[in-house]
Amino acid sequence: GLVQSCGHIIPESPVLALGSNFTALCILNESCLDFGNIYASQIIWKIKNRLVPKEQYREINRTVSSVTFNDTSSLATPLTCNILADGQIEQNIYGITVTVGLAPEKPKNLSCIVHQKSRFTYAMTCTWNPGRHTFLDTQFRLRYRWPEQIFPDCIPKDVNNSCTIDDSQFFVNTEIWVEATNALGKAVSDPLVVDPIDIVKPLPPQNVSITSGLLPTVLQLVWENWISDAVMTLKFNIRYRIVGDTNWMEVPPEDTASPRTSFSIQGLRPYTEYVFSIRCMKEDGVGYWSDWSEEKTGITIED
Amino acid sequence: LGAGQSIQQTYDLTRYLEHQLRTLAGTYLNYLGPPFNEPDFNPPRLVRAEPRVPSATVDLDLWRGLTDNARLAANYRAYSRLLCYLRLLDGQVGTAELRHRLAHFCASLQGLVLSIGGVMSSLGYPLPAGPAAPPAGPPGAPAAPNDFLKKMDDFWLLKELQTWLWRSAKDFNRLKKKVPPAVVTLRLEARGF
Repeated sequence: GLVQSCGHIIPESPVLALGSNFTALCILNESCLDFGNIYASQIIWKIKNRLVPKEQYREINRTVSSVTFNDTSSLATPLTCNILADGQIEQNIYGITVTVGLAPEKPKNLSCIVHQKSRFTYAMTCTWNPGRHTFLDTQFRLRYRWPEQIFPDCIPKDVNNSCTIDDSQFFVNTEIWVEATNALGKAVSDPLVVDPIDIVKPLPPQNVSITSGLLPTVLQLVWENWISDAVMTLKFNIRYRIVGDTNWMEVPPEDTASPRTSFSIQGLRPYTEYVFSIRCMKEDGVGYWSDWSEEKTGITIED
Repeated sequence: LGAGQSIQQTYDLTRYLEHQLRTLAGTYLNYLGPPFNEPDFNPPRLVRAEPRVPSATVDLDLWRGLTDNARLAANYRAYSRLLCYLRLLDGQVGTAELRHRLAHFCASLQGLVLSIGGVMSSLGYPLPAGPAAPPAGPPGAPAAPNDFLKKMDDFWLLKELQTWLWRSAKDFNRLKKKVPPAVVTLRLEARGF
């Protein structure tokens, strides 16, 4: 180039662990020595524009000076090597960027839930505790596999503590884990082994409708289940309240603990408007309750 | 997983595959178009130079007479080969939605092969030797998507798969009843059985 560099620093652009010690060397070019009458003993180290105390320097030989930091917490960018040429004019020889941070911690508390998105699609979302802030660019990957089959990694977008896999597979035990990687190291969470069918949160019952019966104390609820029996059989909770009242009453869970698409509620007040809502979950109780369904109202007939 | 749990999981997966295939097959045959998507289309099976898709047609008495090990091994080999053909199907389909559903189904079927292998291991049976041979493409020109014979192969692949799954569900349901759940097994072992 136009301007000949008179030296360089090694290491070039280090990434350093917070609290560790660090030594850099500034190496002058022999050619500059003859030309500029400059020696390692004239080197001045600076952090940003702050002078590094001379006690931290050491002249290795005519062309090399070292500087040592016992604790990288005091380091910042740039670290520069400068020469006080001819005793007056300070000239910059070289500078490096210094990045200080921490290796990633082992991600903890990995847990996953499969959300039913539509009749046929189920997305598995896993969340974890990413651990301490590392001050470095840290990549998280959610990884999962079966024996003899590894699936594509799930790369979180804009967050570092969750990822969603769009296509869940049921009825095969799946090993799931998280890997965190940055320039200072890699950490791997404990694996979670689960059959995704056991962590499903189904969609609530759909198209709920209420019809009054022949009796003034009975209303019949009818709904659709948007999950096939081949995937899972369901049990239900049904709650209801009188319009304008805030207290919910609930049908005894044991009465709705089996697959169904309708239920008759008895013991209601004649000629009264009620609000109903239903939720469902896997019949054996393994997994999560759905949200409550849309509320629907119905009126009992007059006595 | 204990043998009982492993069999139950495999049974559930088989029924789940049956469920998926019911809608998937209809969508795929519509994609193939007439006559393949007509309800009463029931062509004779073409005699090909070499059997391409493991036929699901078996003598039921013979099938029932097999040992559990032999029947599981036959299932394992069949689905390993069916998976290979299905993956061929998967790569050539034009619509993204169908490709996505086929890919999901292929992964489930891969899961079934693994599950059957898991059941065999849990019962102490060796896995059938060697992976399923990759299907030999038709000699000469690669199968053209709109080639009638290729479509016929696809049609028969789905048909055979449905029959295999239907029978496998029964196999695993029967096996489930023969193999006591883990708890009982522990108690039996405790008494020196």
